[in-house]
Amino acid sequence: MASTSRSLVSLFKSISTRLLYGLVSILFIAFVTFIIDEVAPGDAALLELGDKATPQTLAIMRAEMGLDRPWPVRFGEFVIKATQLDFGMSYAGVREPVRDKITRALPTTMQVAFLAICLAAIIGLTLGTISAIRQNKFADRAALSLSTLGVTIPNFVLAPILVYVFAVQLNYLPTSWAPPDRRTAPDIFYLLLPVLVMAARPAATLTRLTRASMIDILQQEFIRLAVAKGVPPFRLIFLHGLRNAILPVVTAIGTSFGFLLTGSFVVETVFVMPGLGSLAIDAVRQRDTPVILATTLVAGVVFVLVNLAVDLILPILDPRIRESQV
Amino acid sequence: MKKKAGFLFWCGVVYLVGLLLFAVFGPHFRFSWEAQVASPMLPPFGTHWLGTDELGRDVMARLAYGARLSLIIGFSVQVLAVAIGICVGVVGVYGPKWLSTPLMRFTDGMFAFPDLLLAVLIAGLFSMGLVPVIVALAIGSWPSVARLVRTQVASLKDREFVVASQAMGASTPLIVVRHILPHLAGVLVAVMMVDIAATILAESTLSFLGIGVQLPEASWGSMIQSGNANKLVNPWLLLWPCLILSLTVFALNFVGDGLRALLDPKAKEA
Repeated sequence: MASTSRSLVSLFKSISTRLLYGLVSILFIAFVTFIIDEVAPGDAALLELGDKATPQTLAIMRAEMGLDRPWPVRFGEFVIKATQLDFGMSYAGVREPVRDKITRALPTTMQVAFLAICLAAIIGLTLGTISAIRQNKFADRAALSLSTLGVTIPNFVLAPILVYVFAVQLNYLPTSWAPPDRRTAPDIFYLLLPVLVMAARPAATLTRLTRASMIDILQQEFIRLAVAKGVPPFRLIFLHGLRNAILPVVTAIGTSFGFLLTGSFVVETVFVMPGLGSLAIDAVRQRDTPVILATTLVAGVVFVLVNLAVDLILPILDPRIRESQV
Repeated sequence: MKKKAGFLFWCGVVYLVGLLLFAVFGPHFRFSWEAQVASPMLPPFGTHWLGTDELGRDVMARLAYGARLSLIIGFSVQVLAVAIGICVGVVGVYGPKWLSTPLMRFTDGMFAFPDLLLAVLIAGLFSMGLVPVIVALAIGSWPSVARLVRTQVASLKDREFVVASQAMGASTPLIVVRHILPHLAGVLVAVMMVDIAATILAESTLSFLGIGVQLPEASWGSMIQSGNANKLVNPWLLLWPCLILSLTVFALNFVGDGLRALLDPKAKEA
């Protein structure tokens, strides 16, 4: 009993140091974004009044918006308010709380990214395992070529081409996204292409990683011993091989998921999806500082949380990591 | 794996040389890239080999101009990134502790920053143009170089020839320049090829999203974007830039892999 409580304490310790580290990196991301926005020419007051504004009216406007205070004060205020989930009002378009914009955009991005990472994980683990077992045979070469394609073909090439073939020419699928209440076909028709496009790159990298990791494991002594003992192939591959080979893959799934959640600009632009990516792009175009800061902050938080989740899953999968933490 | 460059490596080299020539001479070969020269949306394989776009400009000349832009951006970004990366990486190993520790922490922090987001922020918030795009992409790509340089330098630092020249009284800068950097050159060149491909992709992504290089300029990304908008009328406009971009990325990756096999001492032993 004593040992379990001790291991719980150490687990708690490692989680809290990671959370602390994550908090620092979120602050860093927010700070870098803030500085970039600060250094960039022009500001919200100028945007509000247009080019014809006189220096006097500009100064009044800045004072009104609180932009005349020194930047450390404003950054501090932003951080304190952000901890209360208050990101201020949007400068551009509909004047509404930034929080509302984010809460509306987040589910779309999350849904597509989550489905994409699941698809990518399934494809990657399957192809990678097959590839490793059939090393240098036809299946392996085919999987490797496919993953080379997946890594190199950018999604802004893949997406328009898939839309052209499946939506325009064959007319199987809708050409763009529609909100759930205005869909004329089952959800899967709307989700298929965005998810497929987003899954392509992570599927390819996960295939390669699974293959490499699996080949590495299959060469080790305990596998040879298992073969000699007559462990059936199915059991050998899944319980002895994949169980060990999956660890680096899990880490990679986590990072890929983070990148999908924070890098969905292209897919959301092509399919006209109102997600976090298009929100960020619009905000950058319109110089909507509160939205820019909030979206980067959310991206940073998501990134850190996903990595934390991976750090928590790994010890569950691998007793060696569990023990090393004690 | 003895020293041998594969078939794909040479395909990549030939393609890249061709692309270079295309980028140098293409924008004004037969037609100028910026002028309206014929009626819009002409199909390919006529007087205009690849057809014309929605404004009646020659697609081939515009692709060539896009190639020029991509190569210039890809190359200058990577030169910048490698220069910064070498400095930071070397300081991270040889520098005084009060400088190297915060510097490497900063590198880790930048490494964790989602790089597309960073590029979108910088390129989007500063007035659009070539220089902001180059700076934005360089800021996104130096941390990985710095990490690579740091691990490599740290492992070279204790090798016999470095220790020997230290014992003979060589100064640290001399050791770094004469003994350490030449060892890194091969790996860095190979990594640079692959990173140039990534940079070209990132630049195209930015101009696809409309926050890259200014619009009248022809970038592959903005060509894909307008091709996407016009794909119902003229799918060729979508096909050509997609094709040339994908081929370029392939070629750079093949050349990078080939160079790594040739130049990286570790890859040779394997």
